[in-house]
Amino acid sequence: MPDMQPLISDFVLKLKRRKVEGSHAVARQTAELLRSVVSQHRMGSTNQAAALADAIHAVGEHLIAANPIELAVGNTVRRVLHIIKEEDISFTAVGIEGLSVTAVSDDECDSGNDDRPTLSAAVLASHARNALRAPSLQTLLDDIPVSTALSHSSSSAGDSDGKSKYTGDKSLKTRKLKHDVIAAIGDLIEEIDTCYDQISEQAVEHIHQNEVILTLGRSRTVKEFLYAAKEKKRSFRVFVAEGAPRYQGHALAKELVEKGIQTTVITDSAVFAMISRVNMVIVGVHAIMANGGVIAPVGMNMVALAAQRHAVPFVVVAGSHKLCPLYPHNPEVLLNELKSPSDLLDFGEFSNCMNFSTQDGTPLLNVANPTFDYVPPKLVSLFITDTGGHSPSYMYRLISEYYSADDLVVRRKSTS
Amino acid sequence: QVGLQYLSGEVSGGNGRCIAMLLAFREAIKDYSTPPNKTLSRDLTAKVSSYVSFFIECRPLSISMGNAIRFLKNRIAKLPITLSESEAKASLQSDIDRFINEKIVVADQVIVSHAITKVRDDDVLLTYGSSSVVEMILEHAHELGRKFRVIVVDSRPKLEGQGLLRRLVAKGINCTYTHINAVSYIMHEVTRVFLGASSILSNGTVYSRVGTASVAMVAHAFGIPVLVCCEAYKFHERVQLDSICANELGDPDVISKIPGRADLGDLKNWADNENLQLLNLTYDATPSDYVSMIITDYGMLPPTSVPVIVREYRKEQLWV
Repeated sequence: MPDMQPLISDFVLKLKRRKVEGSHAVARQTAELLRSVVSQHRMGSTNQAAALADAIHAVGEHLIAANPIELAVGNTVRRVLHIIKEEDISFTAVGIEGLSVTAVSDDECDSGNDDRPTLSAAVLASHARNALRAPSLQTLLDDIPVSTALSHSSSSAGDSDGKSKYTGDKSLKTRKLKHDVIAAIGDLIEEIDTCYDQISEQAVEHIHQNEVILTLGRSRTVKEFLYAAKEKKRSFRVFVAEGAPRYQGHALAKELVEKGIQTTVITDSAVFAMISRVNMVIVGVHAIMANGGVIAPVGMNMVALAAQRHAVPFVVVAGSHKLCPLYPHNPEVLLNELKSPSDLLDFGEFSNCMNFSTQDGTPLLNVANPTFDYVPPKLVSLFITDTGGHSPSYMYRLISEYYSADDLVVRRKSTS
Repeated sequence: QVGLQYLSGEVSGGNGRCIAMLLAFREAIKDYSTPPNKTLSRDLTAKVSSYVSFFIECRPLSISMGNAIRFLKNRIAKLPITLSESEAKASLQSDIDRFINEKIVVADQVIVSHAITKVRDDDVLLTYGSSSVVEMILEHAHELGRKFRVIVVDSRPKLEGQGLLRRLVAKGINCTYTHINAVSYIMHEVTRVFLGASSILSNGTVYSRVGTASVAMVAHAFGIPVLVCCEAYKFHERVQLDSICANELGDPDVISKIPGRADLGDLKNWADNENLQLLNLTYDATPSDYVSMIITDYGMLPPTSVPVIVREYRKEQLWV
């Protein structure tokens, strides 16, 4: 796809230079880019789904490598791959159904094609769906060679003569698969866009009267959540912790005040002091991991520990595009980014401290400025996503709904 | 003059303020002369009270200052009537000197000698804000040749850690600087946490700079020992459960202004909006279960022994 290359390189560059930031924007742009990739893709005659998936793998590998910390990119790529698989399965299931009907009717004149097991279309389709999910006890025990059955049926159907109707169906099938995938990606984009509305609808259930809410930094999801509660005339006040070193808490406070919400800005060091007077902590996060743990702006672990100490519920609001199927191994180091020390120390003021005159040449002064924090699942009370409220122990089931198990590593297959 | 220094924030830190105040009192006593028809002790006590209220207006008293004032008034009240004025003044001045020496200077040296035993080679020590005692410990340990690293954690709005950082790096100690949000990130490297305190209350709660509680909490969650260094004169018989009941409010404007980041002017006109408030707490209360050990000039104690010291200390003060 030579005409896609400049678009892809452009996006990769934007990701590398951190010009695109924020999970929502990133997820949306990734989905749109992949939709264009799919529409530009030239569909072959056999095995289209695998070829399409391979193209997505190739593009996705570059995108993820551009900014590995931005997990929304990988999430969206994996969602598209899952969509392709699902569309293929449902499409083939429909094809098999039509096929078995015609086979039964033509059985009198075509008796030589009985070398394949006669499975009913419904059973095949359900087994195909099970293959998409993570291996569960049921699928392991049933152990029916689904993929071979599927390929046999489609290839034997292609081989037989006199099925001119089926070859007509074939070209129709080519276009239809692509069309279905593009439609499904369009649904995904819409889902990413409307996640705020669906989450905000649940605000009324959780915020009652005279509540005191604490939040850290600035999250658009939290903002919409609080706006919705205010619309429904709930009375509450908000403590916003600044969120050094980005100080985005200031911006959030300004926005909340414009809507008439009572807000107090506190420094991050005062969180432990104030949390005894708080009813609920509501925060937005960067990503939700497979174990229910959370990658959040720096300082969130401190807030979660304080909330646990004072038995204050710690509620995380996030759209489903932030749900990542990866398990966090050593998240403080691997899923973190260290930013410039100039946020903390002024280079000019501290220039006289920058001498390197120790024996082993290591500098005397180091500065640590991490971007993200990891919050373990046991500190989170509730996740509110666009699909409803869940506890951290349930998040892994949502993963099996949105992603397929063999897509965890996005890599171009070497045999294409 | 000292009052103005408090107001501007030039003199800060429990020990610093206390010493400055006592020295100011000593000067005042030197210049004092008894008006006729009045007894020395009563008049002087009244004068001292007026000075104290001036100080309170500049900045609310710290607990250490409160204890020192109580000591001084006690001494004034105990003066025998037979003493002449000059003798009385001399005795008061020497009392003040002795107080400063015994309770602050020598106490600090004792604390340092105790705490040095807790610093081993290859330690990574974390400290929060700027405490005079902790600074002395680190400098002394470095002079003794121990190899260790220091992590200085700082927070807004005072950013006191930067001053400490400068002084430590000037001495040649290997330092890492970070802000309080990053304590969870940095805590896995740390072996011990040294904290200073403004005061320790009778239920073992450590009353110190806002943010200390968060640092102690995260250290406790990672299983790292927290050592609080505090002179005994700062102990108080009050009890407190949380940070809201008794605290000091600082200037809210410092929250809206961020030095060096002129682009973040969102909260410039915060006073105009009645829905928006800025809260600047100065102190917070760290629960005693986060503290592993308290190092004082009386030795190394667990937080539960603090009321014992308070009681003994009161008795000792009476006959000293």
